[in-house]
Amino acid sequence: MKKRGRGVASMWYGIGNTGLPNPAAAFIEVLSDTSVNLMVGCADIGQGSTTAMAQIAAEELGLDYEDIHVTSADTMVTPEGGATSASRQTLISGNATKLAARQAKGTLAEVASGFLNVPEEDLIFRNREIYSCKDNSVRMTYKELMAEMKKHGRLAVGAGAYNPKTTYLDPQTMAGIPYEVYSYATTIAEVEVDTETGEVEVLKVVSAHDVGRSINDVMVEGQIEGGVVMGEGFAVFEKVEYSNGVIKNPIFSKYLIPTAMDAPDIYSVVVECEGECGAYGAKGVGEPALIPSIPAIAAAVEDAIGVHFTSLPITPTDVLRELDKQKER
Amino acid sequence: MEKIRVSFNLNNEDVTIETFPNKRVVDMLREDFGCTSVKEGCGEGECGACTVIRNGEPVTSCTMLAGQVAGDRIVTLEGLSKNGELDILQKTFMEAGAVQCGFCTPGMILSAKALLMKNPHPTREEIRRALSGNLCRCTGYTKIIKAVEMAIEE
Amino acid sequence: MSDRDFTVIGQSVIRKEALSKVLGEAKFAADYKFDGMLYGGVFRSTVPHAAIKRFDASKALALPGVACVLTAKDIPGKNKTGIIIKDEPCLVDDKVRRVGDAIALVAADTPERVHEALDLMEIEYDLLEPIFTIERALEEDSPKIHGTTNIHAKKHLECGDVDAAFAKCDVIVENTYSTQMLSHMFIEPDAGVATYKDKIITVYASTQNPHYDRSDVAGVLGLPSNRVRIVQVTTGGGFGGKLDISVQCHIALLAYHIGKPVKMVRSRTESTIVSAKRHPMTMRAKTGATKDGKIQAVEVFMTGDTGAYASYGPAVITRAVVHCMGPYEVPNVRVDAVFVYTNNPMSGAMRGFGVPQAAYCHEGQMNAIAKELKMDPIELRLLNAHRIGTTIATGQVLTDSVGFKETLLAAAAKAKEVM
Repeated sequence: MKKRGRGVASMWYGIGNTGLPNPAAAFIEVLSDTSVNLMVGCADIGQGSTTAMAQIAAEELGLDYEDIHVTSADTMVTPEGGATSASRQTLISGNATKLAARQAKGTLAEVASGFLNVPEEDLIFRNREIYSCKDNSVRMTYKELMAEMKKHGRLAVGAGAYNPKTTYLDPQTMAGIPYEVYSYATTIAEVEVDTETGEVEVLKVVSAHDVGRSINDVMVEGQIEGGVVMGEGFAVFEKVEYSNGVIKNPIFSKYLIPTAMDAPDIYSVVVECEGECGAYGAKGVGEPALIPSIPAIAAAVEDAIGVHFTSLPITPTDVLRELDKQKER
Repeated sequence: MEKIRVSFNLNNEDVTIETFPNKRVVDMLREDFGCTSVKEGCGEGECGACTVIRNGEPVTSCTMLAGQVAGDRIVTLEGLSKNGELDILQKTFMEAGAVQCGFCTPGMILSAKALLMKNPHPTREEIRRALSGNLCRCTGYTKIIKAVEMAIEE
Repeated sequence: MSDRDFTVIGQSVIRKEALSKVLGEAKFAADYKFDGMLYGGVFRSTVPHAAIKRFDASKALALPGVACVLTAKDIPGKNKTGIIIKDEPCLVDDKVRRVGDAIALVAADTPERVHEALDLMEIEYDLLEPIFTIERALEEDSPKIHGTTNIHAKKHLECGDVDAAFAKCDVIVENTYSTQMLSHMFIEPDAGVATYKDKIITVYASTQNPHYDRSDVAGVLGLPSNRVRIVQVTTGGGFGGKLDISVQCHIALLAYHIGKPVKMVRSRTESTIVSAKRHPMTMRAKTGATKDGKIQAVEVFMTGDTGAYASYGPAVITRAVVHCMGPYEVPNVRVDAVFVYTNNPMSGAMRGFGVPQAAYCHEGQMNAIAKELKMDPIELRLLNAHRIGTTIATGQVLTDSVGFKETLLAAAAKAKEVM
């Protein structure tokens, strides 16, 4: 017989290292043809930080995404980026990038202000143009601005560094400020348990994530979908088998990870509860993407067959053992 | 060990190579032909990163020896775009956001290509089955499946 | 200018490197080639805990094509690495602490020759008692893996009056949760190439942590940091498993000694055995609520096996402790945690740093409370959810960007639509 169940679970996740300074920095230069070199320490391991940094720099400078070239994670070229871990890079390297861009923009604004005869604070940089917020007919193109910069011998360079506002935790009680900000998420999973084979099939997963601000929806969804499927592996089949210190299943034929056949239908919901601390309010999603799917799947199995499993993974053997126990009762 | 002479068609070009008979196809393609899109993730035919299309079928090149491809038509990702024009799957993989770290991408695109060559209108279930030999740890497969569906539509 | 009115933020632009990846042109570490490049390999321990009695690489060195074999005594700088605690040798000096510890390095002209050379190396061990359980690790008479205690880290978090709060609860749920050791299984095994030119060591590596890599490579070679260049090349996934040093120090050391580029690509097996794993953890949890559904107290005792080296263990334990009551207003919390060293595989960072384990515990408890009180699990969560103004167990007041309730409502609405 096949039994269906549904389960809900939530999580919170502090962005950045716990109760420790963990800064990152960025360098930027707007070149005379309005193309931009952004040098950021942040390592892109496929999650898409290079793209996100380019988007942040483009927004701050009022240029296009295509205008930004990113050099990342080369220690002879880029400043400290810290680790790509703790879901920290969008918040921390993102803020560093924004600050670097803002510094370059300061020089640009000075020169634009003189040319347009508009106070710096009234200038808007947007869509490769600079104009007055009071009268948008008073404007110049970025190309014109860079020509003006050249004339005055000015360079549009910037450096930015950001360290999240945390405190060290008290060694006795752990009191303090462990993280500047937290991401939140709620996942609802639907599973089908085969009571003959004990197999758990994850059918559908809804996962809603407060990321503060989504820099790039498709990439945020990509994180959520990948996290859900990794969570499925965590909840119902993955396990390193080891004895006497030896890993018995170090290869893919023995350590099974989910395939395209296993992946459930995933419905990502991006919630934007933006705040003050992130670049444009962005927090992080890399690890939150994974976390709630694990308990949600376990809860769905419980809903289906009435067993509160307290050990992972929930394998077919575990399911059949518990169903047998139920029969005995 | 004596070298053997192997002739086959690689990405629409007839090639011949003198190589050791125990050389794996993945190594031959990467080292002797510079096809570094062919990735090695496991060496046991499980992860699919080294997938190439052999006579229209996706195969794992880490479990084949050089002599086995004599007379075959082999396609790697290098051979998919023609005269700078991307294959439709290369376009939809980009547009759908099906690429994250990119290590599984070459094999994934080739498995999808082999499917669409045989079956231009597969169902979602058929797509899942065709890609089930290609492991991806980043994407959760969702956008990869979407990319294949987008390619079907075009 | 309105902050909401963006031109680039929020746009699903195509990622910068997508084209090079769909063309197969993106260069991962194993795709790099340099003139005169040699291949490197590592001779590793097959026992979990031992002193090295004899190591003999003379047969390997006699093999034509072998450029060098290096051991701990060839390290010009400090033979210690590690992101938080420098407790892992680059090459074993005093003793072996796990299966897979690096004992010697070899560089040769082909990958085949590297394997041949590794097969010719001879070793004899003086076996030491291995420790495979947390219980044995904590016993007074157990052998010590590092220093004088096997306790790697101990944490205590306390706020409110937990005992008094439990006494007033209408419902209390107690469970012990355990989670397994997991492997990241990034699809690209660890790899890198090092060159030594003009007195600069350059390491092209698959890594999540280039600036940390620089400090450990510089430390091992005894060079100033500005003579070490780490270039993170296209990296085939990490999930925390590429935060620790993998091949970086080894290839740098080989390139430094022989003055030629050296490449190292781990096999899947070597990659899985050597890279850090997810901490297996046990969490004994007690959660109490009043009948209106307000959570009053949480008590958790957790243990974790960090294996032979610290890796990210200190980060995992701290994060797990801070998060283990979940995103709920809980006025009374007591958490105790102990992580120990054993001779098991090294545990470290894996996507979530202990929070996935902790979430399995706190969400299992929340659902159990909901069941006891016959409350809807989403209602229970809404009732206790973090909001602006919440004081968390560490005393921090949440003042910014707390969207938990929104995720509960959004998930519920979406589930109604699609399930």
